[in-house]
Amino acid sequence: MPELAEVFSQFVVHQSGARSAKVIAFNKLSGGAIQDNFGLSLEIEGGMQSGLQEFVVRQDAPSGIAESLSRPEEFRVLEAAFEAGVTVPKPLWLCEDLDVSGQLFYVMTRASGSASPRQLVKSDLTAEQRCIIVRRLGAELATLHTVRPPMRSLDFLTLPDQGDAALSRVATYRRHLQEIAEPHPVLEWALNWLEDNTPEPGPTVLCHCDFRTGNYMMAGEKLTAILDWEFATWSDPAEDLGWFCSRSWRFGANEREAGGVGEKRDFLDGYREAGGTDIDSAAVSYWEVMALMRWAIIALQQARRHISGEQRSLELALTGRMVAQMEFDLLTQIQELEDGQ
Amino acid sequence: MINQPNNHDLLMEARQVLLNSLTPELTGARKYEALMIANVMSMAIRELGQSEQAKVEEADHAVSTFLEARSKPNPNVEGEVSLAEAIRKRRLDGREPALRDVLRTLTEARLGINNPSYLKR
Repeated sequence: MPELAEVFSQFVVHQSGARSAKVIAFNKLSGGAIQDNFGLSLEIEGGMQSGLQEFVVRQDAPSGIAESLSRPEEFRVLEAAFEAGVTVPKPLWLCEDLDVSGQLFYVMTRASGSASPRQLVKSDLTAEQRCIIVRRLGAELATLHTVRPPMRSLDFLTLPDQGDAALSRVATYRRHLQEIAEPHPVLEWALNWLEDNTPEPGPTVLCHCDFRTGNYMMAGEKLTAILDWEFATWSDPAEDLGWFCSRSWRFGANEREAGGVGEKRDFLDGYREAGGTDIDSAAVSYWEVMALMRWAIIALQQARRHISGEQRSLELALTGRMVAQMEFDLLTQIQELEDGQ
Repeated sequence: MINQPNNHDLLMEARQVLLNSLTPELTGARKYEALMIANVMSMAIRELGQSEQAKVEEADHAVSTFLEARSKPNPNVEGEVSLAEAIRKRRLDGREPALRDVLRTLTEARLGINNPSYLKR
């Protein structure tokens, strides 16, 4: 670890035109099976970043997953989001030279606060504070969704087939489900429902695709950064809105549909008032069902990694046993939508 | 062969030791791992329990009965495999209440073992 800290420190010195830098603190941050995140505090002399600086270094982990963006791709998405005005850590420097640390990595500013979902969901906030938070989160998505194709710097992102993100997702998940050995009749049934009930496609925009409580930092009631951009792609704006509101990401506060934090109505109002597309709330509900499907497929894939012996892990094994929860939610939510609740 | 105490009893006791004696001594990632192990043991205990086993058999029976009433869409495969295939190939009407009842029965039987508290949500 000390050697790695020195490697990153020298990289920062070189990139920022500093004379020297002293490592004040260096530690591995929690979270991220796909990548390693390190906190790096440096006392820098000279150059464009002179003084005490706090950085995060995000580096490829040995075991990535195929669907996620590479570090250089993620860096470019982060740049696009930053330039659009989304509250993200400022992306500073990308290193594509494997000789430096042995992995691809980039450096960004370090945001203050915590991303802990349970801390936020269980915190003693007033209704007004909750309203302000979820409206702000809606507004952030509206800002992100102003980024639209074509963009040369993001030409590695895939576009939905025939402009229909919902049908593209259904086709992808159906393919993934067929790759799983054991039968999942509830998921097959829900995929048919998703195929038969697609809403009118929205515009194609840059979507975060993992925008949920736990993936943004809060310092008290203040949003400080939206994190974890490795699943970003061109999609329907309702996908991000539905993922945020999905039952899977309310952390036990099921009655607060907007991420377990606030009211869905306030979240969608924040989105619309900040210039977001006028999305029918029924389309958001549809994408909440899609979110349950996506999480079920991810959980099955994670369990498969354990069962196949590719990566034996108690946590991955237990994730496989969570699929019944998503199936239960799919049955419940589809029935509620059909009953008009 | 009589081999007492039985697996159910052994697992119950081992889980109590884990939760009452060992877990309080742990912090951070180690504590999280201990709680995951306790969770796995709970599932195994329930899976060995007679009432949950009866629900699993009931769910399997519901699938067979449902498929037989529809002339087994694919007579070469059994149970859930046949049901999943018939749904995927659109040989069954997804709106049919009886189909939804079978799907719910299966899911509730699985949750009864994996996480019964989820059924109360």
